[in-house]
Amino acid sequence: MDAVEKANAERQRRWVKDQKVGEGTYAVVYRGRELATGRKIAIKKIKVGQFKDGLDMSAVREVKYLRELQHPNIIELLDVFSSKTNLNLVLEFLDTDLEMIIKDRSLVFLPADIKSWMAMTFRGLEFCHRNFILHRDLKPNNLLIASDGQLKIADFGLARDAADPGYKMTCQVITRWYRPPELLFGCRYYSTAVDIWSVGCIFAELMLRIPYLPGESDMDQLKTIFRALGTPTDEEWPGHTKLPDYVSVGQFPRTPLRDLFTAASGDTLNLLSKCIIFEPRKRISARDALYHPYFFALPYPTHPSKLPKTAAQTAAASRPPDEVDGNVDPGGGAPAGVGKAAPPKKLKRKLSGHDLSRNIARKLDFTAS
Amino acid sequence: MATDFWASSHNKRWIIDRASLKQARSEDLRYVESPEHVDFLNIYFANLIAMLGKRLTLRQRVIATATVFFRRFYVKNLYCETDPFIVIAACCYVAAKAEESPVHIKNVVSESRLMFSQEGYGVKNFPSDNSKLAEMEFYLVSDLECDLVVFHPYRTLLTLCGREAAHAVVSEAGEVGVGIDNGPRYWGTGEGRLELEEGPLQTAWHVIPPPPSTLHSTLLRPKTDQIRALNRFIINDTYRSELCLLYPPHMIAIAAIYLTLVLNDKTREAIQAQTASSTPTPTPRRSSRTNTSSVHRKLAAAPQQQQDFVGFMAGLRVSLPTVAMIAQEILSLYTLWERYSDAAPESGLGQSAVGDTAGDDVVTPAFLTQLLLRMREARLADLAHPASAQPMAVNKRLERTQAAG
Repeated sequence: MDAVEKANAERQRRWVKDQKVGEGTYAVVYRGRELATGRKIAIKKIKVGQFKDGLDMSAVREVKYLRELQHPNIIELLDVFSSKTNLNLVLEFLDTDLEMIIKDRSLVFLPADIKSWMAMTFRGLEFCHRNFILHRDLKPNNLLIASDGQLKIADFGLARDAADPGYKMTCQVITRWYRPPELLFGCRYYSTAVDIWSVGCIFAELMLRIPYLPGESDMDQLKTIFRALGTPTDEEWPGHTKLPDYVSVGQFPRTPLRDLFTAASGDTLNLLSKCIIFEPRKRISARDALYHPYFFALPYPTHPSKLPKTAAQTAAASRPPDEVDGNVDPGGGAPAGVGKAAPPKKLKRKLSGHDLSRNIARKLDFTAS
Repeated sequence: MATDFWASSHNKRWIIDRASLKQARSEDLRYVESPEHVDFLNIYFANLIAMLGKRLTLRQRVIATATVFFRRFYVKNLYCETDPFIVIAACCYVAAKAEESPVHIKNVVSESRLMFSQEGYGVKNFPSDNSKLAEMEFYLVSDLECDLVVFHPYRTLLTLCGREAAHAVVSEAGEVGVGIDNGPRYWGTGEGRLELEEGPLQTAWHVIPPPPSTLHSTLLRPKTDQIRALNRFIINDTYRSELCLLYPPHMIAIAAIYLTLVLNDKTREAIQAQTASSTPTPTPRRSSRTNTSSVHRKLAAAPQQQQDFVGFMAGLRVSLPTVAMIAQEILSLYTLWERYSDAAPESGLGQSAVGDTAGDDVVTPAFLTQLLLRMREARLADLAHPASAQPMAVNKRLERTQAAG
């Protein structure tokens, strides 16, 4: 055994693989732990599969970026080792994701909770964009939640460098419901603004508790967007009719966001509207979003440890379901639910365990159609 | 190119010191007659990567990344224990993916086979099976520890020499969503950029301009190979050596700028004038000389303010001794390279014999391929019958090599 193999074996010994928890297109995910500390981890074993066609492009992208990016709001790649014919990525273990939290009807979100998740998302995204990395697949189930409540951006399987100007990129990225109109029109030169649109959709979804723009096909997606936001005029979005795949999908009138988000504060709607501006260049940047008055107004963002948790998370933390009373909501704005009145603060925030079977492995599911 | 260089894996894990590099080559050195041969192998393999890259229509940056992958792989592996040809193919294949311009594995296999089987190279047994390349890819990626982001000097060069703006306007007219922020990306605001004319800038990045100073002709005597044009890039040339493992890319870029300023007639005179008299004014001698060749006349036509080249170099706030060291290394690379020739296949055998005996003669790819085979055999023999009493387990990589043919 040479030095290289020895070093690899040493790294391998640090981690223990426990049960398989899921399988994706190019990897199998195991739950595991660090031998020395017992810390929970996830091991993502990349299938090389008899070496038929080489490493999957998604695997290459994911590994490439996770090796470089270290930020509290981005999933941490703890280690990499190879075993026989597999590459193994050791990732921090995360209990749940934002989609599960949104879907858990027993949980009630306060405006401060939403603000906290948004702040963490923008922080992670700002870090990516500062490093010229486009995520290109932001959606609630790629925003994982750690046991301490920290939100972490995961799944860099579609991420890439912001290309040098003049180099084409594919427009077949981002899960449809979160895909911005310029990509739907086939734009091949795009920027960090594509991720901001996705975040805007997630923002709206946190308030609505259902996907904001659920189109059934690419064409229907455009219709859904325009139905919600009005068909853009040439002034609102200069030049969009010249995009490669431009089609006219009909004229829809603009309805104020206020009509749908009845309970949201002015700041909230202002930030949301800036995330879903049609013209990509005018869309707010992740950095500017972090300086938006929304984040400085009352109610202040909930501390991550006090955010609503799913039953799975609570069970994992093996703590009794705590009656969260830390959500200071000094009457500044009604909760951004679907027009429902704010429930009493002492409401039990987690009840059902129906989603126990779901786990981190869902992160491998690329619905990048 | 993404991420912050100082926080990158490139800076943290892959800038190594000379001693480690020497250590990495120490075993290989036991199997060659002259230590220079290993340097020739470095040139040879980098050339092969560049040529394979061209065949696969990879961009220059992808080729550069592939070369860096290759160098990094051989920090941990030995030439005599692996099959560099399949490593080369794997490097190109992985680099293409890592740089977002993937090529199909089949193309890589067939192009490699085609190229390596040419007589000049004499590699007869490149595997035709995709799975061999995929397997090598796996070993490569795991030895690279999955660090696939590589920084290159090109960006620094463009940023320092004020050419980025020109590049940024390439986007198609009428396209929306081009709003990619070209802000202070690598080197801050662009204030105090060095305004180089096209000619000198191209020297640093692209083609050596025609005017033959004596220094030029000795250093960069036209070579008789088909890829002559490709070889004329100082930065590209640095990949023929192991500089990319030793120094951060921005230092290499600065060394290239330095060499350019010194090698280019016009800028050299300007510097000489500047150092002679402390006031940087264009000397009359310069203007008279510019009339001598049409190229120079054209350059002089552009209204250009005399620049403070010395001040520019000093203002970079990098270690100038290190820059000088890199420049020296680049020069010695050229000296060595002069003796390397991608000569026509028919002369290959004859010259290889000569190259074998007299160190001062031309070294050809065929000779180097033969050398590699001899190294491998000697290594195998050594492992089977260790000269030292210490028995060695048969290496896994040797098996890989044999399996690959």
